[in-house]
Amino acid sequence: MTTTHQEGPPGSTGDTVPVVKREGGMLAKSIRANGLRTMLLVVAAVLLAFAVTAVLIAISGKNPSSAYWALIKGAFGSTDRIAFALNRSTPYILTGVGIALCFRAKVINIGAEGQIAIGGLAATAVALYLPQLPLVLIPAAIVAGAIGGAAWAWVAAVISVKRGVHVVLTTLLLNFVGLLIVGHLLHGILGDPGAGFPQSPILPEMAWFPKLLPGTDLHIGILVAVVAVVAGNFVLWRTTFGFRLRLMGESHAAADYAGVSTSQCTFAVMLIAGAMAGVAGGIEVLGVHYRLIEGFSLGFGFSAVAVALLGATNPVAVLPAGLFLGFLEAGALSMQREVGVPSSLVFVIVGMTMVFVLSSIGMSTRLRRV
Amino acid sequence: MLEMRGITKTYGALRAVHGVDVNVARGRVLGLLGENGAGKSTLMKILFGIVRPDAGRITFKGQELTGHTPKDAIAAGIGMIHQHFMLVDAMTVTENVMLGWNKTARKPRVSECAKLITDASKNYGLEVDPNAEVGQLSYGRRQRVEIVKAIIRGADLLVLDEPTSNLSPAEVNQLLDVLRQLRNQGKSVIYISHKLGEIIEICDDITVLRDGEVIGECAAKSATRASLAQMMVGREVPPAIKRSEHALGQEVLVVKGLSRHDAEGFARLSEINLSLHAGEIVAIAGIDGNGQADFVNVLAGLSSPDQGCIILNGRDITRASVRSRLSCGISYIPVDRVRTSLVPRMSVEENLALRDFFAPPLSRRGLLDFSAIHASARRCIEKFGISVAGPDAPVQTLSGGNQQKIVLAREIGRGPKVLIAHQPTWGLDPGATRFVIDQVLALRDAGVAILYISTELEEVLTLGDRISVICTGRLSEAVPREHVDVTEIGLAMAGTAEIRPAPVAAFV
Repeated sequence: MTTTHQEGPPGSTGDTVPVVKREGGMLAKSIRANGLRTMLLVVAAVLLAFAVTAVLIAISGKNPSSAYWALIKGAFGSTDRIAFALNRSTPYILTGVGIALCFRAKVINIGAEGQIAIGGLAATAVALYLPQLPLVLIPAAIVAGAIGGAAWAWVAAVISVKRGVHVVLTTLLLNFVGLLIVGHLLHGILGDPGAGFPQSPILPEMAWFPKLLPGTDLHIGILVAVVAVVAGNFVLWRTTFGFRLRLMGESHAAADYAGVSTSQCTFAVMLIAGAMAGVAGGIEVLGVHYRLIEGFSLGFGFSAVAVALLGATNPVAVLPAGLFLGFLEAGALSMQREVGVPSSLVFVIVGMTMVFVLSSIGMSTRLRRV
Repeated sequence: MLEMRGITKTYGALRAVHGVDVNVARGRVLGLLGENGAGKSTLMKILFGIVRPDAGRITFKGQELTGHTPKDAIAAGIGMIHQHFMLVDAMTVTENVMLGWNKTARKPRVSECAKLITDASKNYGLEVDPNAEVGQLSYGRRQRVEIVKAIIRGADLLVLDEPTSNLSPAEVNQLLDVLRQLRNQGKSVIYISHKLGEIIEICDDITVLRDGEVIGECAAKSATRASLAQMMVGREVPPAIKRSEHALGQEVLVVKGLSRHDAEGFARLSEINLSLHAGEIVAIAGIDGNGQADFVNVLAGLSSPDQGCIILNGRDITRASVRSRLSCGISYIPVDRVRTSLVPRMSVEENLALRDFFAPPLSRRGLLDFSAIHASARRCIEKFGISVAGPDAPVQTLSGGNQQKIVLAREIGRGPKVLIAHQPTWGLDPGATRFVIDQVLALRDAGVAILYISTELEEVLTLGDRISVICTGRLSEAVPREHVDVTEIGLAMAGTAEIRPAPVAAFV
């Protein structure tokens, strides 16, 4: 490499410029790719969505400003609230990064909900039935969650690649199958007999996620999510695999021409996204509920699609997008308690934001960098 | 019946048609003949009101047509049969005919319309069943549905654009019979084709277009295939532009008995044989859609043949992957810049790395080496004089000529043994075209074996050391440029000359 470097035209600044560019590294590149413009658009869209929702709150006879004040207090008002919000953001970020990678390659994976469920199931099984070894049990359970989620994504990928069924259909439909499998097991062999509710017995304490801040509920999941963001960004922008994904997302014809196997890439990116969703499922079980509960995934997998899109399918931007949704939900729950505005308005806000962001990105898409 | 006077249309710098006069009398069939891009389609789009002319007058049945829309053209009595039919597969023939019926006229009942179809069908020997579902009909029958549709809407002039390109010989004869019936009953027809035989057989008058101008008019009776081919192609072998003479190198690429069928079972390539030596250009002429794309895709490894083999330097690469073909020195310039050879939204440097990113020096153990990618991009930009803001500018901000320079820089820069170039000058201005041609010639002089495929006959004649013609998936024997007869090439392109298949080349 050094030799090729020196072959550059004599006297040109070509030798120093790339080095300088590299200092900026991938973050610079992501920001450039994402564009300051896009960020401003997103912020504007969020503000617009809040404004429209304020009208809705007013129509329902409540005071928008006191509702929003309750929302802000609920999100940031105390360490406990912040801890809750960060915990809530974790599955969004983790799953959102995987989905963002898929969407980059135009593999429209909307199967995270099922992948989270199967991942949570696998993590639970390992935590309950494996020998109770300290330091090993939690990693083993999380790895099992990853494998479970990846396996579920693999099923969707196989049907899609080998049989030509569109991946939207296979991933969407397998969500329901995944949720039903979990439900079935919780009603049967995995259920807690005395509970009267479809849930597993409580996990041994050894399998509980350690707390990040003692005295709060904040567990170390958010760190895993941040690592996933950094790793996802690295993979997308710095590796040949990321190059393949971006290439395939732009044009299958160009990918074929460059000798990139689109079916291999589809499998790979689906497995990665499935594993991340599975880890998110495992973290919910080990960090929040300490047991597997029917419906524990709460639609995270679907909301994560919104997170990935809000982050313009850029792993770095998935972090703020995931935090946004997590804090918004935390605040909305308080808002519901204190002002009586239904927390489902969160989805109105998120939905509005999505519509505004996507339509503004759509307008500027002509010159968007990949 | 129809008079078009001085029709002119320019697209930017391109003169699509220039001062064209066309006359069609009642009950006559006019043949419109010309190469791709000669202006036939533009002329008919102007007639039908799809395209506005810059200048010129159209008079139809004594009435002037200006600023008309296709709807007006239909109402005036012009029926257009497009190459791609405008029919709804899931509907019956009757429903298709009734679809888009003129609003002002009273809409007929289904039974009335069916009767109209049956009558017209009997009258002109069309054999169309009004109750058949269009999706179930053969290509030839669908075409006749289109004709019925036009007639029932009161067309006095029918325009058929390349009507026989997808028909079997028997269907062609049926179509010609139908056209004779139409003529006998006083309808006029404009028949667009580059198939000389059919033109002579069915037409009364022939107008030949070349480069947007009428180059000749004659009565079909007095025309011969040779005279028409000469008119259509109309040039002698152009003088070679500074090409060095050197002895032929070793045989590099051998293609034997290559055949391929598409999903519907149509033969796209049949029994193609070719041999390519180091330092020579074999140029393939042919009208678009005669198997060129299938041939280059099979050579580049993007699709696989049903039969036959491809041998590169003695090694059978028929089933080799794109990557292994790349590493054994096959470079490929596809015709489609926007989707295949370039990724418009990616940067110049990423596009330059498109085909070599997976191996050193551009990447190591799966990690992209940005300083190497950057340095190599800068070298390419300098060497090929690509005018661009910087290596990280998106390719879509570049002009067509600069975009193609990126493709050339990448494919030539990798030091190929074989270059496959499919219409590399497509859509380029003369300056950029010249640049591409000079690069190809320089590569030839450097000892690379080059396969150059183009629909531009002039380029083929300029570049080829040996020249061959592809027509309906068959490749003629490559003839050395000294022995090339332009008329014969024109005939072979039009599919009328007997194509002598190339003999099977000897193994190296």
